[in-house]
Amino acid sequence: MCQRGERQAFEVLVRRYMKRAYQIAFDFTRDGEEAKDLSQEAFLRAYSQIRHFDQRSTFYTWFYRIVVNLCIDHLRRRARIPWERLDGKNQQSAGEEAMGDTSSTPDQEAIAGEVKRRLGTALGTLPGKQRTAFLLRNHHGLSITEIAKVMQTTEGTVRVHLHRAVAALRQSLAELV
Amino acid sequence: MLQHKDSHRSACKSFEEDLVLYYYGDCREPESHRVEEHLKGCASCRHFLEELQTFLPLTAKPKELPQAFWNSYYEELREKLAAIDARESWWKRSFAFFHPWAVPALGTALVLILALSLTLAKGMWHFKGHRAQEEVPSELRAAAGNIDFFESMDLLDSIDFLEALEDKSSANSEFQKL
Ligand SMILES: [Zn+2]
Repeated sequence: MCQRGERQAFEVLVRRYMKRAYQIAFDFTRDGEEAKDLSQEAFLRAYSQIRHFDQRSTFYTWFYRIVVNLCIDHLRRRARIPWERLDGKNQQSAGEEAMGDTSSTPDQEAIAGEVKRRLGTALGTLPGKQRTAFLLRNHHGLSITEIAKVMQTTEGTVRVHLHRAVAALRQSLAELV
Repeated sequence: MLQHKDSHRSACKSFEEDLVLYYYGDCREPESHRVEEHLKGCASCRHFLEELQTFLPLTAKPKELPQAFWNSYYEELREKLAAIDARESWWKRSFAFFHPWAVPALGTALVLILALSLTLAKGMWHFKGHRAQEEVPSELRAAAGNIDFFESMDLLDSIDFLEALEDKSSANSEFQKL
């Protein structure tokens, strides 16, 4: 057995999933530095625990579960979530485009900015499971079936979480004029 | 969008959850047909769906990070992975000659040796022999579990396996579009 070979093989998985892992962690924490640490920690855990990976299932639902659990544990320990940073200002980025299209008027931009701010706040106050279901579906495009695997619950429960999350987010925009 | 309170009226309760799923493309037949038929005749639900289409994408706009960030991210992670291997390598080398089949064999061998010891040195060895019988096999079993782990990782040596895994997952989901 060649340890170096195993690690090289795992590095293929790292290259493939690092952006997604980072983005999930960022969606949960809204903090670039924490997202980096948490997503890297998830890879280290996956590497150490790969014997628990059931080959019949897909790697990423197993791996996403590790990422999500780490994020949830981390948020439990952290007092405040800077959810208002929905625009990801803390995420170092070069040449990122502003939200909305370039032809929008200042008024439209102001409204869009307010919408984003409220959504960010509302996202931060969602119960953990609703938020997880919502982030995985809305931000990461996982199917209901995949989310159920990640969250180890039924598809019906995921649907309910998702619906409630969307309803709460929509409610947060209710009085917006 | 959302400028008028009128536009924020609710969807029909019995359709709201299905409309959310419909927006995400997760509404299956016959529900999706039922939703589409209902949308034709219900302005409230149409508004509701339009709202979802307007605000939900706003929450999900991943920012592109520069390649330099990913290069350093990857290098940093590689070093951390190498550190894990370095920590485990001594341990692994110590047990590398054990295979799962060897555990019962070793256990049996130990029992034989102990039995022999017992006949050669009754009394004095009895206590230690008993301990060894109970403890050594369980330790070896733990070691064998870890060997299984490293052997299962041999699968990962095969890039073909990884590709197959990926193909399967991309066939199963739209996730790869991310
Ligand atoms: Zn309706």
